[in-house]
Amino acid sequence: MQNNEALKNALPGCQKFEEVEENVYDSELGINIGPVKGVFTAKVSQVDIKEMDSYRLLVEGQGKPGKFNGDAAMELVEDGDDTTLQCSADVEVTGVLAAAGQRVMNGVAKVIMGQFFKDIEKEAKKIASL
Amino acid sequence: MTKMVGSSVKRKEDARLLTGNGNFADDITLPGMLHASVVRSSSAHAKIKSIKVEEALNHPGVVAVYTGKDLEGKIGPIPTSWYVPGCNLKEPPQYPLAIDHVRYVGDGVALVIAEDRYTVKDAAELIEVEYEDLPAVVNQKEAMEEGAPLLHEDIENNIALNWKAGEIPEGIMENAEVVVKESFYVQRVFPSPLETRAAIGQYNPGSGELTLWCSSQNPHIHRMVLSEVLGISEAKFQVIAPDMGGGFGGKIGVYPDEALIGYAARDLERPVKWIEERSEHYVAANAGRDEYIDVELAGKKDGTLEAIRVKNTANLGAYLSTMGAGVSTIDFGMMVTGSYDIPYAESETFGVYTNTTPTDAYRGAGKPESTYQIERIIDLFAREIKMDPVELRRKNFIKKEAFPYQNAHGLVYDSGDYEKPLNKALEAINYEELRREQEKKRKEGKLIGIGFSTYVEMCGFGPSEVVGAVGFQGGTWENSTVRVHPSGKVTVFCGTSPHGQGHDTTFSQVVADKLGIPIEDIEFVFSDTKSVSMGWGTYGSRSTAVGGAAVSFASDRVVEKAKKIAAHELEVSENDIEFENGKFQVKGVPGKERTFQDIAHSANMAWNLPEGMEPSLEAQYFFKPENFVFPFGTHVAVVEIDKDTGEIDLQRYVSVDDVGTVINPLTAEGQVHGGIAQGVGQALWEGAVYNKNGQLVSGTLMDYTLPKARFFPHIESDFTETPSPVNPLGAKGVGEVGTTASIACAMNAVVDALSVYGITDLEMPLTPEKIWKTVQEKEGNQ
Repeated sequence: MQNNEALKNALPGCQKFEEVEENVYDSELGINIGPVKGVFTAKVSQVDIKEMDSYRLLVEGQGKPGKFNGDAAMELVEDGDDTTLQCSADVEVTGVLAAAGQRVMNGVAKVIMGQFFKDIEKEAKKIASL
Repeated sequence: MTKMVGSSVKRKEDARLLTGNGNFADDITLPGMLHASVVRSSSAHAKIKSIKVEEALNHPGVVAVYTGKDLEGKIGPIPTSWYVPGCNLKEPPQYPLAIDHVRYVGDGVALVIAEDRYTVKDAAELIEVEYEDLPAVVNQKEAMEEGAPLLHEDIENNIALNWKAGEIPEGIMENAEVVVKESFYVQRVFPSPLETRAAIGQYNPGSGELTLWCSSQNPHIHRMVLSEVLGISEAKFQVIAPDMGGGFGGKIGVYPDEALIGYAARDLERPVKWIEERSEHYVAANAGRDEYIDVELAGKKDGTLEAIRVKNTANLGAYLSTMGAGVSTIDFGMMVTGSYDIPYAESETFGVYTNTTPTDAYRGAGKPESTYQIERIIDLFAREIKMDPVELRRKNFIKKEAFPYQNAHGLVYDSGDYEKPLNKALEAINYEELRREQEKKRKEGKLIGIGFSTYVEMCGFGPSEVVGAVGFQGGTWENSTVRVHPSGKVTVFCGTSPHGQGHDTTFSQVVADKLGIPIEDIEFVFSDTKSVSMGWGTYGSRSTAVGGAAVSFASDRVVEKAKKIAAHELEVSENDIEFENGKFQVKGVPGKERTFQDIAHSANMAWNLPEGMEPSLEAQYFFKPENFVFPFGTHVAVVEIDKDTGEIDLQRYVSVDDVGTVINPLTAEGQVHGGIAQGVGQALWEGAVYNKNGQLVSGTLMDYTLPKARFFPHIESDFTETPSPVNPLGAKGVGEVGTTASIACAMNAVVDALSVYGITDLEMPLTPEKIWKTVQEKEGNQ
């Protein structure tokens, strides 16, 4: 979860993911879901890191359809033999994203999150099998 | 010949409009025409740090990109047209494109011009604007608080104006037997015309003439204001409003976009076209209402009303729109006593700047809000003193004998008989039986409500001296020329600017009666500053009462001259001539006559005219009304609420309006029905919503509920006719009555239905969700 390469592969349409300072990354995310379409340049930072336990992922993105600010709290919870990744996120949007995207935003967020978790799982398995 | 005035003539303009032969802005194509797109702020409040235009400029097909900085000093700010006096009005400059500071989502930041519409949209997306976000404020009450973000640095507390009228003598409110107080919010809504805004500019570099086709309800006001903004002579500047798919007040405003298109056409020396997109319209076109209204109504236990105190806190948006200052002050505040003889009134308005799209007139403009507060509070007063709401209204009505009646704020209501439409409406719904039925159904657990609105409104703008005294930058008289061709066919010019109202038809009816010629012989020219010498446009339900009156007077002048020619030809004195059914006839000598067409020919040939008479047959009249007109009426709504879904079933809607003499019952009824749809729409469904960051979240027709035809029962509309003494037609305005009356009417019906739970007020719109939650809570189903 705090592995940069794994994050890059799991972030939706991530074309660039460069660490610019500790735990802060410049990235480019290509998103294409319904009315939310375009390349977003985003600053992604990990804060409140508790190794092997939890952190918050802050994403400040900007693209043609508007700006978005995301604040996602990620937590790994032991569940017997398994580990569950729990995530809760707040997203603020502007421009077309707000005016036209509001209604589909939940759906879009779910799709993106869903992808993210599927990919994280894949990455986790990849790392575990190394 | 059958009299045309008063008959339901089908609309002359429909054959053209309904068969696709209209000429709307987007139908206009000019050789070498370019296309424009405005890049708009996605931030509600921010400093512009940088605008990168290179990529857009390098895009194939792009001709020009302008930013606010490029236009500095070349094109002036867009001024308001209503400087309401005595309210410390502060007007910040509104530049056609924001220079370094954006103040609402939709504020223009760049103008892109390209060879075709697709290219220009693609290129507009390549403009990169870097914003430094500032805190935003969208609610006017919050914007007035200390420490709120300031939109314009020299405007303290964001207060644009503080206006007051009237004073209640000390002791009246304090000693009243009953004082009922309530606070209402008349929410922000969108005028939502079927056709969005548009502008097309064409410049002739040889002559220096500029032509601007634009979606304007008042092309002459556009010419007057934009000639200043663009620095071009009015004599070299033609503004034309082509066919328009509605306006509802949203196209009164002189907008930055129109100035930009005029500027670009002149700068590039090529025609430029801009058609607003629907999603763009919602952020960039003026919205309506958005007023918090606090009311106190004082009176006696027997129902005698004594005084009303009203405070309006109005959201003006980020800048002062064309009529922005007048709507919530003059239009709203002077009419707070409504149709009731209330001796004392006090009105106060705060107009406040916020990080939202500017607000301006919307169908009724201040009058629906004013009617809303008085018609809602009178219902609450009736409930407080346990009197039937109809009885309380009737008891306080201005009596028929009292007209002309001066209200507490000094407005003189022209004519009225308020009991007449009330009685007609009560009969139509069978009131007593309906109340009994309501009782019965209530016992069965059903939620049935009956709501009334017995409104009066001020319209027919207006007497020039008065509108001048209240700061309006216009004359509001009207102008018509009747031009008779040699064949006797007629072209009439008028300074009103119809965009769906059907003036072609109704005004033709007036001319047909006056000249005694068939309606098919009459053609009208409107909405073109080069054809019509001057005029003030269509808004404030002024067209028939003022424009129609000018048409009527100009026709009289034609007849006056024609009569002289007829007398000359028939060798009798003018007094011996009678004009009837299109014939000038020597009294008592059947057959000795000239037709209107004969005289048209004679006048135009000028072979044998009375000595000293000028040739031709054409007359112009400038009509300046002495007063506004005050239509009134009674609307009744019957609703049933579904407890399980929260849906409101509008079962019946009865309107009886008195708009003076009705020229055409068919088109008048159409106006009433459309108005009711927009008023009930506001009460039940519509609402423009911003989130706390100033982002518009109801920016599409999927998120903003415009009423559909299926939401309504058949509207049962009728009229009574109390002629106005202000104009020769006896006509009052009909365009806004439906909206003015119906917001309160629908609300009163729903509150009546929910009164079984002790509910006295709810905030509009009354969405099923809101109603369902309320009902569930009251029924104890948490």
